[in-house]
Amino acid sequence: MSTDAAVIEVRDVFKVFVARGDDHQRRAFLALHDVNLTIGRGRFMSLVGPSGCGKSTVLNMIAGLVQPTEGEVRYGGTAVAGVNTDVGYITQDDNLLPWRTLRENVEVALEFRGVPARQRREQAARYIAMVGLRGFEHHYPHELSGGMRKRTALVRTLIYEPSVVLMDEPFGPLDAQTRVILQDELLRLWTGTDRTIVFVTHDLVEAIALSDEIALFSRAPGTIKQRYQVPLPRPRDVFHIHADPQFPAFYNRLWNDLREEIAAVQLEAT
Amino acid sequence: MAALEITERMAGEPAGRGAELLAQVETQERLRQQVDQRRTTLGRIAFGIALLLTWEVMSGTILDQFFVSKPSHIAAALWAMLTKEALLYHLQFTIVEALSGYVIGASAGLVLGFLLARLDLVYRIIEPYVVAFYGIPRIALAPLFILWFGIGITSKIAVAAIMVFFIVLINTIAGIRSAPTQLLQVARVMGASEWDLVRKVVFPAATPFIIAALQITVPQAMIGAIVGEFISSNRGVGHLISRAAGFLDTPGLFAGIFALLVVVLLMNYAITRLGSYLMRWNPKGGVRDIA
Repeated sequence: MSTDAAVIEVRDVFKVFVARGDDHQRRAFLALHDVNLTIGRGRFMSLVGPSGCGKSTVLNMIAGLVQPTEGEVRYGGTAVAGVNTDVGYITQDDNLLPWRTLRENVEVALEFRGVPARQRREQAARYIAMVGLRGFEHHYPHELSGGMRKRTALVRTLIYEPSVVLMDEPFGPLDAQTRVILQDELLRLWTGTDRTIVFVTHDLVEAIALSDEIALFSRAPGTIKQRYQVPLPRPRDVFHIHADPQFPAFYNRLWNDLREEIAAVQLEAT
Repeated sequence: MAALEITERMAGEPAGRGAELLAQVETQERLRQQVDQRRTTLGRIAFGIALLLTWEVMSGTILDQFFVSKPSHIAAALWAMLTKEALLYHLQFTIVEALSGYVIGASAGLVLGFLLARLDLVYRIIEPYVVAFYGIPRIALAPLFILWFGIGITSKIAVAAIMVFFIVLINTIAGIRSAPTQLLQVARVMGASEWDLVRKVVFPAATPFIIAALQITVPQAMIGAIVGEFISSNRGVGHLISRAAGFLDTPGLFAGIFALLVVVLLMNYAITRLGSYLMRWNPKGGVRDIA
């Protein structure tokens, strides 16, 4: 398969959720309206859009945790039916197991996959070193800083080498410095692999700094309003991304398109 | 590579004046902790002695000695029980009853709790019944159990078990339902089987609840055994106590209570140690001593 072949295809997807409304009545609402999205192998794709537009739902569908009401999500050419263990999933919360040490957390996916202990240990050591966490192997999550926990969450997903990594605002809860440092580390870990990344974020700067391609969602019911190829060359310096000559114009274009959607949400709310 | 630098320095050893200060503060802190520890221990012993002394002095002066007895008399009665009335023989029955009841009740509560929490529909159907049974003052079941199982050891085990069972059951269910959905989802995506989920995610998530239940129920099991013995038996510490009461032997009564106290403290110590070990990952520093 060439590097440009589609690994993920979202085809004509609609999603209806049922939830309790303000009046405590069960109400159905449309979360996604005719979403179509193709993501090529090895691409870094960001999904941006107003809050509640269904970006996370699309990730959940690729992971097989949520099924479309209509339409289908295809992964590697076949429709996703159950939990998709071919992908890695990193959410805003680090989701580390609090009762396991850092190393045990990094090893857990390999345990699930029946990798022998010896091999697990070696691989874990390699990945832990990759993100500079050597010396903290025996710490429990509550003894680690937010940045360290996020690094742990990153490598415990990368360790089983999923061909697609889904990231749902992974750096959201971090402070601004740690955020940029981790963006840089993520790019470093991704560069040179043929791993596909689908990245949900609210931060346009982050989306531009990291991605090859950006899909802009409309307000709910979410649909894809626009797709952009990020014009900035690689390798990218995330610490000075503003200094790239292409940055300002592209940022403004993106922001203007997004602002229309956000403004519409606010109008509807009043 | 700024990230690497930061973490490396955190892991590395400081040097110079900083290292000296570090060592100094660490030594001070250790010393302070030792002093604190010693104070607590001494304070506890002193408080106990003060309590016994007050009791000793007040009894026969302000309080009627017939009703409250005296620590010195109780000690004598305890000694007499130990040497003449085979206290250990009786204690052995009570311990076996409480312990067997505890183990049976707790295991049944755990296993059933796990099953119920995983079978949503079944749980929703029987939940009101569980709550209703939980609401019965379980001591009231003791006469019934004696009717069913006779006056031997079995009926006391049954009472002790029922005392423990519902608390462990309800806590286990609550604990399992507290496992964060996202944690379960992420584990599934990482390739966890159902069995992996139960063992490596659901069960550890439920441990704080389960440990709490196991601690609370230690004295409950003892209550069950003793109440069973009160109602009808010819062996056990409960029997000794009710006999002492029958003879209006207050020192003997207190002596029996003290013997029970010691046993419950020992059982609670064991379960607290187990709890701290199982919960060593918990940021709140494991289990609180609730004896």
